[in-house]
Parts: sequence; structure tokens; C-alpha cells
Amino acid sequence: METKTGSALVIGAGISGIRSALDLAEMNYRVFLIDKSPHMGGILSQLDYQFPSDHCGMCRMLPTVNRDAASQFCLRKGLYHENIEILLGTEMTAIEGEQGNFHVTLSSAPALIDPEKCIGCGQCGAACPVEVPDEFNAGLVTRKAVYLPVPHNVPNHFTIDSTACTRCGACEKVCPTGAIDLKLHARRTFRVLVVDDELVVRDSLKEWLGMEGFSVDMAESGKGAIELLSANEYGLMLLDIKMPGMDGVEVLKIAKEMRPELPVLMMTAYATVETAVEAMKLGARDYLLKPFDIEALVSKVVQQYESTIQSNERQIEVGAVVMAGGAGFSDPGQSINTYEYKVLPNIITSIQFERLISGTGPNAGKLLRPSDGKPARKIAWLQCVGSRNLRENADFCSSVCCMFSIKEALLAKSKTDGTVDTAIFYMDMRTFGKDYQAYRDSAEKESGVRFVRSRVHSVEPGGDGSVRLHYVDAGGREGDEVFDIAVLAAGQRPPTGSEALAELSGVELNQWGFCRTESMFSSRTSREGVFAGGSFSGLKDISDSVIQAGSASLEASSLIHSKGGGLRVSERNEGIFRDVSRELPAAAVALCSCGGVLSRALDMEALRADLARGGSVSRVFDVERVCTQDGWSTLVDNLKESGANRIVVGACMPCLYGKRLSELGKETGLSPSLMDIVDIRTPLFPGDETETSSAAGQISSRLKMSIEKLRGANPARTSARHVVQKALVVGGGIAGMTAALAIADHGFKVALLEKTDSLGGIARRISRAMDGTSIPDLIEKSVARVENHPNISVYKGAGVIHTHGQEGNFLTTIELEDGTSEIFDHGAVILATGGNEAATQAYLHGKSDSVVTQHELEERIRSGGLDPASLQSVAMIQCVGSREPGRNYCSRICCASALKNALYLKEKNPDLAIYIFYRDIMAYGFLETYYTRARREGIMFIQYSPEKKPDVALKEDGGIRITAFDPILDRDIQLDPDVLALSTGIVPGDQRALAEIFGIEVNEDGFFVEADYKWQPVNSRKRGVFLCGLAHSPRSVPESIAMAQAAAQRALAMLNRGLIPAGSMVAEVRHALCSLCERCISACPYDARRKNEDEERIEVDELACQGCGACAAVCPNSASVLRGYSDRQVLAMLDAALEL
Amino acid sequence: MVHSEARDMHMSASDVALIEVGKNVQACMQCGTCTGSCGSADKMDITPRQLWKLVQGGFREEVFNSRTFWLCSSCYFCTLRCPRGLPLTDTMAALKRIATAEGWFKDRKSPFFYRAFLDIVRKYGRVREAEMMGKYFLALANPAVALSFTPLGIKLMVKGKIALQMPSFSGPGKLDNLYRKVMELEAAQ
Repeated sequence: METKTGSALVIGAGISGIRSALDLAEMNYRVFLIDKSPHMGGILSQLDYQFPSDHCGMCRMLPTVNRDAASQFCLRKGLYHENIEILLGTEMTAIEGEQGNFHVTLSSAPALIDPEKCIGCGQCGAACPVEVPDEFNAGLVTRKAVYLPVPHNVPNHFTIDSTACTRCGACEKVCPTGAIDLKLHARRTFRVLVVDDELVVRDSLKEWLGMEGFSVDMAESGKGAIELLSANEYGLMLLDIKMPGMDGVEVLKIAKEMRPELPVLMMTAYATVETAVEAMKLGARDYLLKPFDIEALVSKVVQQYESTIQSNERQIEVGAVVMAGGAGFSDPGQSINTYEYKVLPNIITSIQFERLISGTGPNAGKLLRPSDGKPARKIAWLQCVGSRNLRENADFCSSVCCMFSIKEALLAKSKTDGTVDTAIFYMDMRTFGKDYQAYRDSAEKESGVRFVRSRVHSVEPGGDGSVRLHYVDAGGREGDEVFDIAVLAAGQRPPTGSEALAELSGVELNQWGFCRTESMFSSRTSREGVFAGGSFSGLKDISDSVIQAGSASLEASSLIHSKGGGLRVSERNEGIFRDVSRELPAAAVALCSCGGVLSRALDMEALRADLARGGSVSRVFDVERVCTQDGWSTLVDNLKESGANRIVVGACMPCLYGKRLSELGKETGLSPSLMDIVDIRTPLFPGDETETSSAAGQISSRLKMSIEKLRGANPARTSARHVVQKALVVGGGIAGMTAALAIADHGFKVALLEKTDSLGGIARRISRAMDGTSIPDLIEKSVARVENHPNISVYKGAGVIHTHGQEGNFLTTIELEDGTSEIFDHGAVILATGGNEAATQAYLHGKSDSVVTQHELEERIRSGGLDPASLQSVAMIQCVGSREPGRNYCSRICCASALKNALYLKEKNPDLAIYIFYRDIMAYGFLETYYTRARREGIMFIQYSPEKKPDVALKEDGGIRITAFDPILDRDIQLDPDVLALSTGIVPGDQRALAEIFGIEVNEDGFFVEADYKWQPVNSRKRGVFLCGLAHSPRSVPESIAMAQAAAQRALAMLNRGLIPAGSMVAEVRHALCSLCERCISACPYDARRKNEDEERIEVDELACQGCGACAAVCPNSASVLRGYSDRQVLAMLDAALEL
Repeated sequence: MVHSEARDMHMSASDVALIEVGKNVQACMQCGTCTGSCGSADKMDITPRQLWKLVQGGFREEVFNSRTFWLCSSCYFCTLRCPRGLPLTDTMAALKRIATAEGWFKDRKSPFFYRAFLDIVRKYGRVREAEMMGKYFLALANPAVALSFTPLGIKLMVKGKIALQMPSFSGPGKLDNLYRKVMELEAAQ
């Protein structure tokens, strides 16, 4: 087994951070995944439903290759991967060095609760007297100061909210495992020096801080302070500015010379705030304003105290850093708040709505009004709250809210059997993603969600707790309507702390506070070796975040690889497990007594005797605490000594033990598939006040079930398949070239097929990107690199005619330019066959020379065929043939192209009149700023509806005349433009034949279908076949590049290893019982089964099989069996459970 | 109406002025928040949103023949709420200024009212309601208007809101310098 030597740091454990971390871990790098919050999952931990299926699906990000390396349970609950070290409540505090060789300091908040000891029993929460708003439920309910950050985490440790905690010590007293240490005694040793000339100030500070447990000394003058400082050690000095004699600033200067490390807080009245700020430049940490706000004062002192005990610092060395800090949300209560947020109780944000309707939310999934708990009958969604708003420095579109709101409206409908009335108030409905338009249309036509094109201008109480919305519709008519709940689609903001992080790491932010990235390579930041994933690089939905994360991890991986993080042989050896298949089952059972809790509650002797009765148990022993280092060594020693070939450990929180079991495997030489951890702690929790005897019964039956399960476990080794470490890339456009280069840069051979005689694809028709970057330059550079790369063979005029094989081992026949054919073997294939601008005959295209497509316009300008200076007026029509039956999707790039071309023309000829007819301007993300610019430049935008399209007619003089309805002016207008440019959108090439060859699907629009739009956007449903670029869905050049990088990354995760091991839990077929009914083949969601016609039997592809068990469930003869869950095992477990 | 024709027309002074004013509202994305917020919108012949679009498009005649900007009471609601942060109330005022300067008010009462108001303030340094209304009615030269105000006038007098006594002449004309300076400045623009 080979592994890689490099390591990487991923900052932020939301979905993009998890994706990047898993990517790099699958590349066999060592990964540190940190997050400053105490839980993983970021914003997604609060969202139960995701469109279009209203399922979660996050688990689809888990590795499908070498599954045993990672946890295989719900990813929202937690994650384990053998190459990832997850550090929560941790921040990066320093980064030095350069790309390939960073020295990073991580520091974690003081853990007042030891996660190793906390068993999540909840007694502390019950004892805690403090109640504060619960962030997880977006403030809809309260929680205690000691709480579970996310209720569904596994394992789930309680956390103390340091700012809310009053240090009353109630939790410390009730904790049964002694996990809580508030470090109250440590405060006694933290000495605070208070310097003030007024006695009353000194006395009150002494009293307040004394009550918090700190030791306080006092000085009445600067001179006295200096004397005390030279005599004693202090943790903190509180220093008054205005004192007779030596003033505070002078004292500060001297104190800083004597003790440079001493934190100082200045005390000041309003009049001397400026002096206090000056003092901060001299080294004071902060200032306190008189008269004191006691809470603020104490919290600042506690903060200083905790920063001194925050000694959990750690130095790590990494080759690359991925920043995936996500995004925050704007607070509609800030700013001018015309929507009365936090004023009227039934005005909530979309996140609050999400929690309101969640099964784990305050109403257990019922749709009730927050004000009075009455069922909600009418709900409104208000879009663009804090987005597209120049006054809040938010000249961007948050990109996610339109779909978010449609989903919430549909969710509300489905929770109420369609009885609730839902209305979405919007300016432009931005359905720019693949299949989003169809989703919107079905919401409107089939589910009856109302879409009102209007920006609500104000909200008032509507009586009885309801809210009245005032608005003006598109035609200028005033409307007002009463709703039970109004949901504000609060826009996104940079994540909190991003400024500090940027300053710390030397990464530049853009004008809105998000990460500034390269124009064409959206994951590259201004600091080499630091890459941006997810929303931190710009506003993104799940699918785009996952793609962006893949791009960032690919860049990180390429960097580490280029710096010599190559392959090396690891100490780990797959063959070390001893062969026990010929031994009789002999189980060793270890019981964690949890510091005596178990032995106090149960008759241990009886339990041991009971377990030993089964016959297959060779030894039962106790361990004081398995979770401690000592306990673990006792366990390992005992197990080694026992020579047992099955191991059952009775402890708590089985999910914690993934990594430990693989260690145990190495120590004992026994495969982890023959070990099991059983939760024997939960039956002893207080709360379910069961009798001890019943707890004993539960514990005994849990252990026996596990023993029975392992007794019948098949110790046979799992299979593995050799991988051909070469890739085939079909399509030589920008996506194909990027993917080929990414794989080739990792040292693997790539064959790149291009059906035409030149590389570059559709991007050759583009002259420049929105920001002016030259696309021809980008293409020339890529072409030159591809053609000169030693690992890439380019085949022009070539196409695929046949393939067979599976992931890791394909044999593909290609037809070359000269008509001959050649056979390739490769492990993965990336399909990047691109697309074209759609052809059209609408609006006189082809009949009048004045009517062109956007690409034709761009080409005419580039070739000089069209001189902007000679033009009087230009019109553009968007959505030509798009977003209507026949081609019902948004092509995503056309609004941007129109804005780009219009701005360019306007730049060349400021007097030119430009008119753009549009349906919804899809200026998502930072494109919005170009839309604003276009408006500012005087470009006229005229909205039209598909029922009233503009009419274009030929005039007698050969020119054209456009007649169209302007809904704002409420009448027809006429234009006689010199040029009319049509945005016809993107269509894929004819990919049906290729799809059939590789056994994948195309959708009704002809684009390739991905395995899962959100979570596996670059995987096809056939393993080993990856998708990117326009062949998958319309996207811009940088978006295609990011997607190509993500696709290459997924391919590399597999190519990277010479051998793909199957998971230990896979299905198998007992051929003697099989009747060849083939039900299992159609039941298998992973295409892992096929019928071998020659041998007349069903075969399982063990690599493709994910162990879901669907085949075993449908098999009428019990011929299909999931390894580890045979009928015999399961029935024996049932027997044990029922004590038969 | 043809947009391109509107643009081809010979540029007059008011066209140039309108283009300047148009820059104020060019970033408008026609969301309609201004119209919705406007307390006078129901009295206007075209909505503020339409007005901005006409200003953007250079429809001089329609803009200045509209009564919309005359009815703006400068409550600043639209300016407060505009997500683009545009100076909408200021733009309304700018339109009033251009229209007054160029005489686009033949069918309008508001300019005469403003004029009467300013003249009285210039004269006394404060408003004298009765005299101001008298001046206003005279300027309109339409007795019907004066008659229509009679019931209101009587009501106000009964409540002592309008004083009929002769104005005192202490200090009239003291604002002349201020007015002159403003005129100079406006002329220089």
C-alpha cells in the first residue's frame, strides 16, 4: 500500500470544507479539518430539506472508493476518516512559510467539558439556570448555557457557552463522569491589578471581580501601580486614564517596558475615548467605558482571562491551505428595517422558517405562527432582503434565496396538504441552475405557489398578529394583502471573522468582504498555496459549493504533489490481519465500568456468568475507563493475551471508535470487521427511570446480540481490483483541457480526444471575460501546455466507438482521424464534450443581416466587421428559445454575455443607445454589480413576459423595427436599432451515442445526467465516468474550469491508488439458491449486479456494491446476502435479544 | 412613440438638463419601492417608477407635462427605502426647478403656489396665510379656484388659523439679499 507524504489544512467544516477534506484524504494526504464552531456541517446542519427531493443526501459525499477508511453513517451527525483529523472549536492563529511548506498555529478554545469524558447524558443542561436564545433554532426558542450545539450529532458532547455561563457551578456538581471543569479555582490565581484614583471605582471593581472569582489588588496612583507591578505577577491590569500625577498613558508606557506581555484594559469616560484609542496603539488591549456596564466589563475581563488559559496551541506543518469559511447572513433588523423584523413576531428569516418547519425545530414540524402557535394559513416570502442593496454594501445577488424560497413554499404546501396559501414576492426569479426553471414552473403550475413580481415596500401589523404587506405590482397597481407569516429571504454576508482571517493569512478580500479570487481560477487566492472553497469565494448553492470545494482541493493536491508530496510506501499493510477462518469463534468481551458506574448499578458477576454461558465467549473482563489512555492500554493488553478471534467492547458511543478499531486491528492482528463496540452506557442514563434489573437485561441482551452477530461473521478477506492508472478525457475544450492537465500534473497518463481538428471548443468564440480577461490568451496557454505535456497524448479528429469494463479498468476503442481505430485501457473517463450556442430562426435571425446572436456580435466586433462608433442604437433580446417549452432551462451565461457586450459597446461609444429585453436578469452572485453598472451607464432594460414577446419586423429600408410592450410604462414602444443581438442560450452537442457507449443517461435537454445534482455533481451514475463543462449544464468559463478540476479530482481519488479495495460490508450471492429471477439487478441502485449469461449466474461487482442491502431484501430465496447480515446471524441476534 | 426618434430630436437646454438629472436615477432597477412608498402616488398621473423610466429614456415632453413631480411633498419615504440608495426626492426637486425655469407649468397650479409662498416669505420672513392665498388666487386668475377654497377658508378663520389683520411692516425686505444670492447662484449653474 502506498500513501502520500503531504498534508493540508482545511479551514471550515461546512459542506465545502468536508468535501475538500475528504478529497484530500482520499488522495491519501493527511488532512486537518478545523472549524471555530463546536460542530460540523456549517449552515447545512440547520437545514433538514433540500430541493428538489426534500431529502438531505449529504452522505453521498462519503467515499465510495475504499469505503472502510471512512465512517458510513449520516454525515450530518459526524464524520470519521482515517486520514482526517477533525478539530472543532479551533482557529488558525498564525501562518508562516510559503506554499508547499506552511507552519500553522492552531489554537482551540479552553475545553471546560472534556469530550473524552462527556457521555451526553444531559444532567448538566437540566441543572443549568441560564437561558439564552438557541442559535441552532435561529433564536426561535431558548437553550441553556451548557448545551448541545447540534442535537443530532454523534457522538454528541455538551459545550459551555462561555459568554452566557455565570460560573454558578451547578453543572460541575451534577456531572456523573466528572467531565466538567469550570476552572473556577484557577481564577483565584489570576490576579487583576486595578489602578484608579477614585476609591469608589476601586472598591466596586474589587467587589464585582471578586464575585467572579478573581483575585484583585488595587493601586490609587500610577506610582503605586508601578511598585505593585515590580513586586508581583499579574494576569491583567485595569488602568484609569485620568489620574493626578502620572496619568494612565504614562503608566501604560512604563508597564509595557516592565512587562511587555501584560494585558492592559484602559478605563475611560466618554471625554477621553480618543486617548483610550491612542492607548490601544501603545499596546492596551481594549478599553472600558465609564460608567461601567457590569456585564460588559466582566465579560471583557473573562475574555482576557480565557485568552491566557487558552493554551491549547498546536503547531502543524502543511503543504497547502483550503479556506472554506462559508457565508453568514445579513440581519434584516439592522439598517433601516422597513420590514419590521424583530418588531413583529411573525416576520421571520428564511433560516428561522427552516427551523420552524423542521421536525427537530420548536414545533416538531408543525407549521405554526411564532406569535401565538396558531396554524399558519397564508405565508409570504420576500426576496432580496439585504441583497442587491447598494446601501448595505451588498451590490450582489445572494444566489441561493430564490430556490430556497421556492423550496420553503413547496415544503409549507406539502406539510399542510396544499391548504396553505403561499406567495413569493420577487424582482427577478433567478432560476439559473440546471433544472431550476422546471422546478419553479412546477411550483407555480402544479403546486399553486403564487409568484408576484414586486418588491414589497413596507409591512404593517395586520391585526390579530398577522402582517399586512404593501406592494406595487409590475403594472404599477397598488396592492396590499394580509399574511400569517412573512419570511424574509435574508441575503448572505461574508462569514464572521473573515477580515481577521484575511489579515492573518495575507489573503485579500474583495470589496464585499468575500475572498478575492483569480478571474479564471476561482479557487486561487492572492496568496499562493492558499485556496478558497465554497461560499467564501463568492455566493454559492450546495452544488456549486461542492464543485468549488473540488476545485480548491485539486489545486491544493496539485501543489503538494508538485512540491514532492509524492507516493511513498506506508507502514500500513493490508495483509497483516491473521487468518481466522479455520478457527472456532472465540469472543473476548471487555466491559467498561465507566469509573464504577456499571459495577454499582449491576451485579457484574452475574453478567459475566451470563455472557460466558453462550459457549463462544472465551473471556470477559472489566476495564476502568476505556476512554482514557490507561484504560485503552489495559484493554489492548488483555485482548492480545486472550488470543480471541472476535472482540466485543461494551462502552459508550460506538461511533467514536472507528479510528480506534483500526488501531486495535493493527495491535491484535484481527480484522476490525470481527470487532464490535456495544453501547452499554445509555441503559444506565438517569431519566428513563427503569429498574436496575431491566437495565441489566438491556445491557446483557445488547452484548449477546453483538456476540451472536460476530459469531456468524465471515472472516474471509475482501477483494480488491487493480486500477489502470490512466485516464481518458473526451472533449478538448477548456473543460477537457483543464481536466487533462490536472490529472497529468499528478503524474498519470491521459489520452485527450477532440472530435474537431483544433483544441479550445466553444470558448474560441469568446474574446474576453466580463472583467476583461482575455479568453484567447487563456486558451493559447492551455493548448500549449496540453500539447507539450509529457503525460498527455492528444488525438484530434477522434471519437469513441466502443467501451467495456468498469471503474478502474476500462477498455475503450477510439476511431482516429485516418479511419483506423485504437484500443485504450484506462481507469477513469471524463466526458467534457461541450456545447454550442443554440441556433435560432426567431426574430428574423438569418433573414436580416442586422440580427445576430451574442457570439456573432462578439465575433463581428473582434473581427472589425462591426464598429461600435458607427452605431446609433443596439437592442438585445434575452431568453430566445430558452425557459419555455422545448428548451425549458436557463442557460445561465446569456445575461452575463449580454451585460458584457453591452458594457463593452458602451465603453467604445458612450453615446450609443442600448436596449435589453429580458425576462429575469440572471445576474447571480457578483455579476449583479455589472448589472448595476450597466444600469448606471444608461443601458435601458425592458422586461417582457413569454406571452408578450417583442415583435421584430423588417422595415422597407431594410432595417428592423422592434415593437414591444413596456410593463413599467404600460404601453407599446418601438425601436429601430442598427443591430439586434439575440441571446439564444447553450445547447449540448449530440451526446446520446456517447452516453449509450458509457452506459450513462442524458436528460430531455440532451445534457448528461449526474449521480446527484447537489452532492455528486461531477459523477455520472456509472462509476468511473465523470462529467464536466457544458456537456453537463450551461456555465461560464471559470465555472467550467472549476467543474473540470472537481471532476479531475474525483477521478484522481481513484486513479491515485493502484488497488481499489472493496468494502467489508458487501452483498454476495449463494448461487445454489438463486433462481435467476434478476429482481436484485433491478433493485440495485449502484448498478453493481449483472447476470453472467455464460455461467448462468448473478455476479456482484464488489467495488460498486455499497452494502445497502436492497438486493437481500427483494430476493425471494434468501440467495442474495449482505455480508455480516446473513439470515443466520440476524436470527441469532433476534434470539439473543429475546433471550430464547 | 419611438425611442430612437426621441433621441434624434434636436437637443434643447431641457434635454441637457434632463440628461444630468437622469444620472441620479440611472442605477434604478424599477423595483417600484418608491411608488409603493409614495403618499401622493394615487394623485399622480404617472407613478414615480414610470417617471424614472421616462427620465432615463429622455422623454422630455412626457416628463415635464406630468404632474407627478409637482405633487412630491418631499417626505423622503422613497429615498429612505430605495434599495439602490438613489436621491429620488432630490430628483423630484430638480425636475421642479427645471420645469419652473423653462416654463413647463402652463396647466399647473403648484408652481404658482410655490411662487406665492416664496414671495411672501421674502417679504415678511414668514408666511402670512391670507395674503399668500390671495396672491395665489390672483396668479391663477381663476375665480373658481378661489371659490372652491372658501368653505375651507371660513373653517380655518373660525378656528383662528388664518389671521385677517393687516401685516405689521417690521422688517420686511430683510431676506432680499439671500434671495438675490440664490438667484445669482442658480443663474450661474
